[in-house]
Amino acid sequence: MATTEKSNREAPQRGATGQKFRLSDRWRGYRAHHRATLSSSVRKMLSEPVQTLMTALVIAIALALPSAMLLALSNVQTIGGDLESSSQITVFVAKSANSAAVDGLALQLEDLEGVISVTYVSAEQALEEFKALSGFGTALQYLDENPLPAVFLVQPLLSGEAGVSQAGKLIASIDELESVEDVQVDMLWIQRLNAITQIGEKLVLAISLALGIGVLLIVGNTIRLAIQGRQEEIIVVKLVGGTDAYVRRPFLYTGTLLGLFGAIIASLILIACVIWVGRSVEVLASLYQSQFELVGPGLSGILALCAIGAMTGLIGAWVAVMQYLRKIEPK
Amino acid sequence: MIRFDNLSKRYPGGLEALSNVNFELNAGEMAFLTGPSGAGKSTLLKLLMLMERPTSGTLLINGKNLNRLSRSAIPTYRRQIGVVFQNHQLLTDRTVFDNVALPLQISGYPASETGRRVRAALDGVGLLDKETHNPLTLSGGEQQRVGVARAVVHKPKILIADEPTGNLDPKLSAEIMAMFRRFQGVGVTVLIATHDINLINTMDERIMHIENGMITDDGVHHGHY
Repeated sequence: MATTEKSNREAPQRGATGQKFRLSDRWRGYRAHHRATLSSSVRKMLSEPVQTLMTALVIAIALALPSAMLLALSNVQTIGGDLESSSQITVFVAKSANSAAVDGLALQLEDLEGVISVTYVSAEQALEEFKALSGFGTALQYLDENPLPAVFLVQPLLSGEAGVSQAGKLIASIDELESVEDVQVDMLWIQRLNAITQIGEKLVLAISLALGIGVLLIVGNTIRLAIQGRQEEIIVVKLVGGTDAYVRRPFLYTGTLLGLFGAIIASLILIACVIWVGRSVEVLASLYQSQFELVGPGLSGILALCAIGAMTGLIGAWVAVMQYLRKIEPK
Repeated sequence: MIRFDNLSKRYPGGLEALSNVNFELNAGEMAFLTGPSGAGKSTLLKLLMLMERPTSGTLLINGKNLNRLSRSAIPTYRRQIGVVFQNHQLLTDRTVFDNVALPLQISGYPASETGRRVRAALDGVGLLDKETHNPLTLSGGEQQRVGVARAVVHKPKILIADEPTGNLDPKLSAEIMAMFRRFQGVGVTVLIATHDINLINTMDERIMHIENGMITDDGVHHGHY
């Protein structure tokens, strides 16, 4: 069994490995491929408009739901914040206190840390106000003496959660002052509201996570279908030396675009909801003589939503493609 | 250039597709691989393309051990090989030009260089006038020639073909074989798996016969049996 003799001939070194090009040429080729891949991904998506729209809608709903909840929560927090800042501490002056003591108390209150302003309401003023507002005007005329004490309205500096505990300290120190009969403050319900919104935050986080995983699975599934449709192409590309990145690229673009598209629809849903609910909220607020207005997601919120949508789409596509590429590994 | 050293491949389930295969193919050499279906020809080619990994033994390409090639190094390795498939594996969603350009695009060739090389390769297989056609509109022989153009467009050092004349009539088969010979003439190492005994017996080239996963005959046959 003789082997051929001519086989010892040296092969001229003319094999092309692509390394002969300048880096700038390769970079240009790389960018050109990115552009081509992006436009072909867009074209493929547009060629199946119903399929694309349905997938994007599912993603949009999954993104819009937690976003709407988050938005509602942040609006509730704004209400809480508004009320916090408008809440006053009412300091009842002891009946026994003379005018000098009252003046001294006023100065002491103003000097306390965390106090923005102090307003004095004399017993007489309080009675006039009560007469005017309560409708008991005539009945009050039968009283021998003014049953109402003089009052200081103290506006505390309140900001966020820390503000509430600071206010607690402030109340304690006011209570210790001389000539103070009683201190009243309606802050308990603010604390309750804070506790409730905290639970709400956790709930929204949990739901966001669940729906985020949902988006991953939706995108993953769509990409898996796309891979099945292009299996032949992937095998050929791999066999002629395509890298994983090259195979991955179109699918990553598709996944990212789907996520982004879904996020844009979700933003539109969100804005529509804010406008729709906003009108009712305005009516409700006007009944409470409140200037409260529903706050929308804002440009930064929409941008964040788009970024999250695109990222989730990218990750979902990545996982799906990598699973497939591992499957066709040489064994 | 290609060296199989005591190479065995066993598939899960116990089927031994190749057992202790030894052979060496020098640079610029041309050889045919024959044998009945299921003898191990395809497995041997798949090992060369790194579609499969050997169970034992070593496979050296240009002195490099393929067993030690990592996953990430596979694409670079495959760019040095050209492969012609039996069913030509052309992509029907793009033109003949884009099919042939694929290996170059993958390697990041600039567009101008790609155009030049693709046209040279298509000219080499006589299909320059078909570059804008879809592969589906071509005849079987033309499709196979496009497959050959794609396999050589990046000027590989090794050309592998799996039943390249499987579905072609004798005249077209002879044409394809003549093409492979031309590539060998410029220094490419060529390994072709084929059933077409009549054709290769006229070619005075090395023939390796493989049966039950073992090489049973290896040499040059002159003329017809």
